[in-house]
Amino acid sequence: MSKKQIVPLDSIEEVVMDKVKSQKIAMKPKWYFTLGSLFVIAGFTGLLFGSVFLTNITLFLLRSHGPMGEWRLQQMLNSFPLWVPGLAVISTVLGVWLLKKYDFSYKRNFWLVIAGLVFSIILVAFVLENLGVNNIWLRKEHIRRFYQQINRSSPALEVSGRGRTQKFFR
Amino acid sequence: MLPNLSELKDEEIVTMVCAKDKEIYAEIIRRYQARLIRYATYIIGDEHIAHDVVQDGFIKAYINLKGFNINKKFSSWIYRIVHNEAVNVINKNKKQVVWDNNFDITGTGSLEEGFIKAEIIKRTHGCLEQMPLIYKDPTTLYFLEEKSYEEISDILRIPVSTVGTRISRAKVLLKNICQKNK
Repeated sequence: MSKKQIVPLDSIEEVVMDKVKSQKIAMKPKWYFTLGSLFVIAGFTGLLFGSVFLTNITLFLLRSHGPMGEWRLQQMLNSFPLWVPGLAVISTVLGVWLLKKYDFSYKRNFWLVIAGLVFSIILVAFVLENLGVNNIWLRKEHIRRFYQQINRSSPALEVSGRGRTQKFFR
Repeated sequence: MLPNLSELKDEEIVTMVCAKDKEIYAEIIRRYQARLIRYATYIIGDEHIAHDVVQDGFIKAYINLKGFNINKKFSSWIYRIVHNEAVNVINKNKKQVVWDNNFDITGTGSLEEGFIKAEIIKRTHGCLEQMPLIYKDPTTLYFLEEKSYEEISDILRIPVSTVGTRISRAKVLLKNICQKNK
């Protein structure tokens, strides 16, 4: 900034209007801003769904370690796919960052908004898990393959049998 | 035929600039130039850099004019742009720039009133300079730019309650600093 030429008080109008008239600067089109807003909304929604999904899987994986989980804590720590909750946290943080871009966010207590968002994500994931959504998904071939993939390293979870899966988890 | 520009609201002028005549943007510059330079000078502490900041602010505002929501207040939007530019400059330079004591203040009252006001503002400048930006910014906007809490909230993107808290803390801070400087 200091290297720039100093602008006299009355020349701001002249300098700016000269750039406008000579088309050195041009207005960005309306669709640019509409598209930007759409991307932010889509990104936020995607990250929110991603967070719920990954938190739900985390809860599901924790449950799949079965009763006496504390006893098998070491085994669980060794085999648990930590990237799943890690990715859930990253998605949530990115979602919060995008939320900050919304106009309304600064009008509220932002810490409360974040707390509400995190609580909602965990609550929805918990409800989905308890409604047995994971077990319903496990009956679908391609989703079961995904679940098997994330649990490849976890000996506590084996999801090979189609009909027996639900019994195994419950 | 063009209507009398001085009778139009900022938002109406912005609509005209976007839809019809780009040259009307000069009216926006005329309306805000002095106020924004004053505001940027309070924040940065250097009138010349403030000029650069305001010029860049007007250019940025023009480029993004179609992104402005005409249902909102234009003055808050343009102040926000200049605020961001000023903060960028402060962050870039980091070390605070020297305060310009010869900065001109335009008064509307009598000569004596104007002198007293100028003296108060000059002294307040010195005290303001020593305040952290988070307090200096809302104080400047409230007392010197005569913005409402709602407008300050829109400019600084902080809740109205935080504006109130910062201003009341700033008053105490300003009092302490000014008393120390006596």
